[in-house]
Amino acid sequence: MTPTEPATRPSAAPSAAVRPPLPVKMVIAGGFGVGKTTAVGSISEIEPLTTEAAITEVAAGVDDLSHTPRKTTTTVAMDFGCITVDPTLKLYLFGTPGQERFGFMWDDIVEGALGGLVIVDTRRLDDCYAAVDYFEHKQIPFAVAVNAFDGKVEHTLDEVRWALDVSERVPVIVFDARERGSVRDALLVVLEQALARTQA
Amino acid sequence: MADGSTPPNPEPGGPVPAVRPFLVTAGRVAPDPSGRTMPVETQVVATAEGLAVLDRLAFEQHDIVAACRIPQSIAEIAARLRLHLNVVRILAEDLRTAGQLTVHVPDTDVTHDASVLRRLIDGLRAIPDSRGVLRDTD
Repeated sequence: MTPTEPATRPSAAPSAAVRPPLPVKMVIAGGFGVGKTTAVGSISEIEPLTTEAAITEVAAGVDDLSHTPRKTTTTVAMDFGCITVDPTLKLYLFGTPGQERFGFMWDDIVEGALGGLVIVDTRRLDDCYAAVDYFEHKQIPFAVAVNAFDGKVEHTLDEVRWALDVSERVPVIVFDARERGSVRDALLVVLEQALARTQA
Repeated sequence: MADGSTPPNPEPGGPVPAVRPFLVTAGRVAPDPSGRTMPVETQVVATAEGLAVLDRLAFEQHDIVAACRIPQSIAEIAARLRLHLNVVRILAEDLRTAGQLTVHVPDTDVTHDASVLRRLIDGLRAIPDSRGVLRDTD
């Protein structure tokens, strides 16, 4: 909380020739196979890259006799892409594997994100509960985007909103993860949310 | 492996290539002594000093400094060099300490500022619907 600090915290090396852009990020969450990587690939200026992120899981206490949570580290694939807005500003889009494993262990990736887009397949609404809960709990601006597979949505947006029990403030939209313009508009909905929050 | 050693944990089926992950970090797993984890979008840039000693750097260090001629996020470095994210975090911190890289951790007060959000919104709005080169000026 030091407003006088520069945008980034460069280390003391006077010879750094190139000044990097200010990096910002948004998170694309949702269940397996829901279209996260498709969405990232539709709008990213690079082919989506994959990296292995370590997540710490507290194992379920099935065989836990000691009452101490047994922590295990799992490695999961994370796809991401980027959009260079201008030479001084670059947006990263991180697709995070979701379902029940989406939780506190994702803090490592989500910390500092401007917002989240939770992609929903209406045939498998359950898959996105954890992501919705996560963003609500972390108070990260987000929108729910129903991916219109083959142009069809099985439930109305009101039904989706009711099923997910998200607050009225959370936009619920339909989009097509394969269409760049559609992904762009979905991200804009999230960013408008984030902007409105700074002015609240 | 090139060095003839056996990976310490040769688990089959794991998606991470056997890069003797934490051997190159001398077993360290905590990236930052301050306890704060370097965000995945943190930008890293090679310094003139780093590029000058490039030939003398060991494999992973060499590859990271070489890749960072162009500013990169640590996520991009990890993906392109097929290194574990936390290995990149640790090595980047080492290389920064040695003066071979600069590490630019984004300040969330700045990134979440309304002015940044407006620039992003304007920038995204300018993205056309289709991937094709726009020939019309509508």
